[in-house]
Amino acid sequence: MVKQLIELEINGRVYEIPVDPRDLLVDVIRKKVGLTGTKKGCGQGDCGACTVLINGAPVLSCITLAIACQGKKITTIEGLAAADGSLHPIQQSFVEHGAVQCGFCTPGMILTSKALLDKNPRPSEDEIKRGIAGNICRCTGYKKIVEAVSAASETMTAEGVK
Amino acid sequence: MYLNHFEYFAPKTPGEALDLAGRLGNKAKVLAGGTDLLIMMKEKLLKPEYLIDINEVKEFKGISYEPGEGVVIGAGTKISEIETSVIIREKYHALHQAAGELGSAQVRHMATIGGNSCHASPAAETPPPLVALGAKVVISNISGDRELPLEEFILGNRATALAAGEMLTKFILPEPAPKSASRYAYIGLRDAMEIDAVNMAVNIVLEEDGRTIKDLRLVMGSVSPRPLVSAEVPAILVGRQFNGELVEKAAKAASGEAKPISDIRASAEYRREVVAVLARRLLKETYAAAKGV
Repeated sequence: MVKQLIELEINGRVYEIPVDPRDLLVDVIRKKVGLTGTKKGCGQGDCGACTVLINGAPVLSCITLAIACQGKKITTIEGLAAADGSLHPIQQSFVEHGAVQCGFCTPGMILTSKALLDKNPRPSEDEIKRGIAGNICRCTGYKKIVEAVSAASETMTAEGVK
Repeated sequence: MYLNHFEYFAPKTPGEALDLAGRLGNKAKVLAGGTDLLIMMKEKLLKPEYLIDINEVKEFKGISYEPGEGVVIGAGTKISEIETSVIIREKYHALHQAAGELGSAQVRHMATIGGNSCHASPAAETPPPLVALGAKVVISNISGDRELPLEEFILGNRATALAAGEMLTKFILPEPAPKSASRYAYIGLRDAMEIDAVNMAVNIVLEEDGRTIKDLRLVMGSVSPRPLVSAEVPAILVGRQFNGELVEKAAKAASGEAKPISDIRASAEYRREVVAVLARRLLKETYAAAKGV
């Protein structure tokens, strides 16, 4: 198969990448762009570790074709912190609440939480649980994750952060 | 888990999409959300030579409501848009509930309503409420459209009425009757990302008196190769005043009509019990909602 040159906008930067139509977004992000914050877990769209934001919506990059993402704004975990390296309030809240154990689910958890808070800035505990239900943590750390998202929603609302 | 090699097309108009579908026929698959298709390709259950990505075709997307007529939903409409649509929530509540229970937030942002019917999984969430609400599908090819009731479109496990060169393009739902309501319920191992052991939708229309059942549809999912429309429950309830005794009789009848299998998710015996539980619960809930309208 002939590779095609596509343009992907990831975290505000445009990358020109040769891809095969069958290349999955998660592999392109990790191997060709070199942003390894996005994790590949089950590879079947079940675990949520590969979640990235496409035009603000949470999407499973392990069952998304890279070639189908041209002209869209992709955000990975590397795109959340500010230019000076200061963490996004959701990231900061995960750190402060000990919501990270092994860290493998964390990028997906944080991006899914961001999409949730962008739509619903003050979710209830149940709404948070429902929002992140597609992200599996095998260290069984949901309690602290839910607390971290809840606290982040308060900080972000108070500070008017997006 | 690599996919097979294929050629990729992203048409921008319905004409381009249908032309490609016509030319490529059975060698092509339509890529909508990809949440089922790409997984089947990863597992080598499907090896299409061509993928026709319809996500750029605006005409295949969106929800448009015409008072008195009903709603038309583009087959490429994302489940998340259906879940959050005010019209769907208010007028086609069972569909709103089913959309909200499908997969996870990620899956709902990717998957489409058309894909959920075309994939024709016996356990799919949206076909039972769509059938209960009287949905028709529009099937298009390059020379025109045809319409079918959704229950005649889904023929069995992974089998639909789509011929080579055809695409499912729209769902048409009639305006709900006055004094009517619809509800959806399911049983599964957990709330997110599970595959339903049993799901069910009920649509009830009441007479002017607000007590007599004028019309009723009860549709079961995951207990038959395709959505199972109950014949016995309407025969028991239509034309009668709603009461607890009839509901018990109807729930038993639904359980008798179900043809479940035993699999990793539940035994056939358990599924038959659950059908009776869901039927009883949904008939009561839907009746109460219809009365309240």
